[in-house]
Amino acid sequence: MELNDEIIIDAPMIRVYEALNDPDILQQCIPGCEELIKHSDTELEARVVLKIGPVKARFSGNVVLDTSGAPSAFSLTGQGNGGAAGHAKGGADVTLEEVDGKTVLTYTAKAEIGGKLAQLGGRLIQSTAKKLAAKFFKKFADVVAPVEA
Amino acid sequence: MNDLTPEREERSANLKGLGCSRKRVEDARFTQGKGNYVDDLKMPGMLHGDFVRSPYAHARVVSVNKDAALALDGVVAVLTAEDLAPLNLHWMPTLAGDKQMVLADGKVLFQGQEVAFVVARDRYVAADAVELVEVEYEELPVLTDPFESLKSDVVLREDLAGQTTGPHGPRKHHNHIFTWEQGDETATNQVMDSADVVVEESMYYHRTHPCPLETCGCVASMDKVNGKLTLWGTFQAPHVVRTVASMLSGIEEHNIRVISPDIGGGFGNKVGVYPGYICSIVASIVTGQPVKWVEDRMENLMATAFARDYWMTGKIAATKEGKITGLHCQVTADHGGFDACADPTKFPAGFMNICTGSYDIPVAYLAVDGVYTNKAPGGVSYRCSFRVTEAVYFIERMIEVLAIELDMDSAELRRINFIRKEQFPYQSALGWEYDSGDYHTAWDKALKTVDYDGLRKEQAERVAAFKRGETRTLMGIGLSFFTEIVGAGPVKNCDILGMGMFDSCEIRIHPTGSAIARLGTISQGQGHATTFAQILASEIGIPADSITIEEGDTDTAPYGLGTYGSRSTPVAGAAAAMAGRKIRAKAQMIAAYLLEVHDDDVEFDVDRFVVKGVPERFKTMKDIAYAAYNQAIPGLEPGLEAVSYYDPPNMTYPFGAYVCVMDIDVDTGVPDIRRFYALDDCGTRINPMIIEGQVHGGLTEALAVALGQEIAYDKMGNVKNATLMDFFLPTAWEVPNFETDHTVTPSPHHPIGAKGVGESPHVGGVPCFSNAVQDAFRAFGLRHTNMPHDHWRIWQTANDLGLHE
Repeated sequence: MELNDEIIIDAPMIRVYEALNDPDILQQCIPGCEELIKHSDTELEARVVLKIGPVKARFSGNVVLDTSGAPSAFSLTGQGNGGAAGHAKGGADVTLEEVDGKTVLTYTAKAEIGGKLAQLGGRLIQSTAKKLAAKFFKKFADVVAPVEA
Repeated sequence: MNDLTPEREERSANLKGLGCSRKRVEDARFTQGKGNYVDDLKMPGMLHGDFVRSPYAHARVVSVNKDAALALDGVVAVLTAEDLAPLNLHWMPTLAGDKQMVLADGKVLFQGQEVAFVVARDRYVAADAVELVEVEYEELPVLTDPFESLKSDVVLREDLAGQTTGPHGPRKHHNHIFTWEQGDETATNQVMDSADVVVEESMYYHRTHPCPLETCGCVASMDKVNGKLTLWGTFQAPHVVRTVASMLSGIEEHNIRVISPDIGGGFGNKVGVYPGYICSIVASIVTGQPVKWVEDRMENLMATAFARDYWMTGKIAATKEGKITGLHCQVTADHGGFDACADPTKFPAGFMNICTGSYDIPVAYLAVDGVYTNKAPGGVSYRCSFRVTEAVYFIERMIEVLAIELDMDSAELRRINFIRKEQFPYQSALGWEYDSGDYHTAWDKALKTVDYDGLRKEQAERVAAFKRGETRTLMGIGLSFFTEIVGAGPVKNCDILGMGMFDSCEIRIHPTGSAIARLGTISQGQGHATTFAQILASEIGIPADSITIEEGDTDTAPYGLGTYGSRSTPVAGAAAAMAGRKIRAKAQMIAAYLLEVHDDDVEFDVDRFVVKGVPERFKTMKDIAYAAYNQAIPGLEPGLEAVSYYDPPNMTYPFGAYVCVMDIDVDTGVPDIRRFYALDDCGTRINPMIIEGQVHGGLTEALAVALGQEIAYDKMGNVKNATLMDFFLPTAWEVPNFETDHTVTPSPHHPIGAKGVGESPHVGGVPCFSNAVQDAFRAFGLRHTNMPHDHWRIWQTANDLGLHE
């Protein structure tokens, strides 16, 4: 499965980059995230409840960041395990670009999914992943660049 | 003609014997929901089993933690390979001479493989507990392609490491299982080298699944007081299950009773021995309670008994005029993680060597390589005799490809190559002796009925109209002529795990002239209780309605090898006729005694014995039955019973001619089946209505396989069609009207001349549907494209040929 998109966030690049590395903000924004622990600047551990089609499961996983291109680019790889529900591994490349005080975030994500998730949710994975990504960025934009009343 | 003729016809009709479209006696209970299937069994204290299955296609099992599952209220036990190892039951033999893990022993080889067996108070608790068993896996590289597998350094079967010989000969690579060769390779190559025309084509007969409506399951009950184990299950071969269970468990065979209750379809899925059976038996022995295991739909599609998965490359040599001079067939067979094919022992690729088809081909060569991959084990004969569907699809595609090469009409190409009527019994180049056939008559009848020439004319006009831009639909005419090989089989070359493939019938005539007959087979919907009674009615002269047929209980039925590969009528049906003749022979002596004449002076007449030339002096079978029990007859034991164990001298070779006419929407890829004509010759016809039903069912499953049904895997070894949302099971919406027809060429060696029919329509139907799709594009340069022809693939074919430009 492959996913890519471009999102414009109404905040400067450095603010976006920092937020993307802030476990509290990430936990608020990742749909179904119950826990996010930052072990180091490049290592995160997460517990997320995911529902795809008829499969609902608690996934625990690790994410490793590669921040060598920071703050304008970084990449991450990770894997998660949902026990009987299945498992996933994948990665994403993210680039940030500041245009007129706003940040253009571009990402390409790839994932391999196995187990019941792949079997039952096969045809739903792409659309569910898109939906979850949209949810994440909507929330992320709200948190990082709150619309002032 | 005499004045007794009408009366005799009436008496004959009353018997409802051979040739009568007798209504199925089973249907009263099925249509009222009164069938009794395994899952209907309920017993006091019965526990329920469920499997923890691997989400990975290839992984090492690092650890299994049962604690959380065992802590759940209602969970009685969680079994792993470690628990089965002391009993030596963590592995089991397969029908193909390989062995298979009952529960994962250190690693898993396919997605859905059994890792642990949870036993709980009810089915729901068991399912909850399955989720609580924590298994740690370490992923290994996945091989889902047999060609990659044969090149890979990854060793799938570490338990076989270093073994260069398997049960079927040398192994060429650590993921190679066997090479099976038939025919004369040198002579075939010589013919290829010097032929006018040689065409080569590669085709993939995709992996699919029999998918019976009722999944596999069992209830095991160990009575610890008397030491007897009773096993109810969805078994197509209950007696074999008893023998295998005895060999594996060490329980003496008289202490095991296997019962197949009503079975909701088998189609080959229920021939094999599955881990669920072993685990249920062990769990019942451990707990002392009955244990039920019934797989769900996903488990059925993922883990028990796939079919096909043959990569076939053919070369066919012919003269310029189209006379075939030789055939070469090379197969790479994907058997999954364990070789669990359900074939007779000496035939690791089943009867694939029937691939010369209905044609007189002087030399041929076949080589099949079996290969391990990270896919589910199985390789069953899904509604066909052993690998015959693959063989017939192969030759019927090769014929079409040759016709394209020679620019010939493929109906004519078939006609000039058919084995001629006078050549039977015909010795094929790959070792079979075809018993009887009249292919030309059947073919001519089929082509005439559908107005073949008219169809070709219409098709040519359609192509012209398409090219002028006046229509967007194309017309395909699918042809197939098949020869099945059923009724395994002669014990001299057919056995399963050493058990010869005879079958049996035991008859008891009751004093008042009704009867019970028991057979070694088991109906899964074929209507045995209806048709076997008809055979006996004609043989013994007792109305079919007065004969009870019983199968499936090993404590009462005589030993038999079961029902699959269309063997019930050819083998058990023959046993029934032979047992009936024994009854008749004794009845003749009783009648002669009662009529006070010599044995030779009475003759059988429908339902009675009459004094020759004096038809008014007779004794009915009813009279004879009563006398058999109640009159002291000098020199004869009381009673009227017989048993016959029948070892057939040969297989039977049913055949048929099918035509499918299809209109294909080039822009959507949707095929519309306008007409399907099926002519079947299954020799003597026992019950035409049941034959028609069998043909409809077989064609429906053929349509499914040809037009969309598959078990596909992704690169990670995920099964992509594990639910009925993704696995095509046709409904009334997709199934067209089927026209059935017949010719009758009796088998010369079968006691009543019958050949078996249940699987013929599937064998002949798959290539017929596929040929129709492919024929539609012949005028635009298509030579071959693989099944399943779902809408997307048909659209893709049209697109590849530039028809959307």
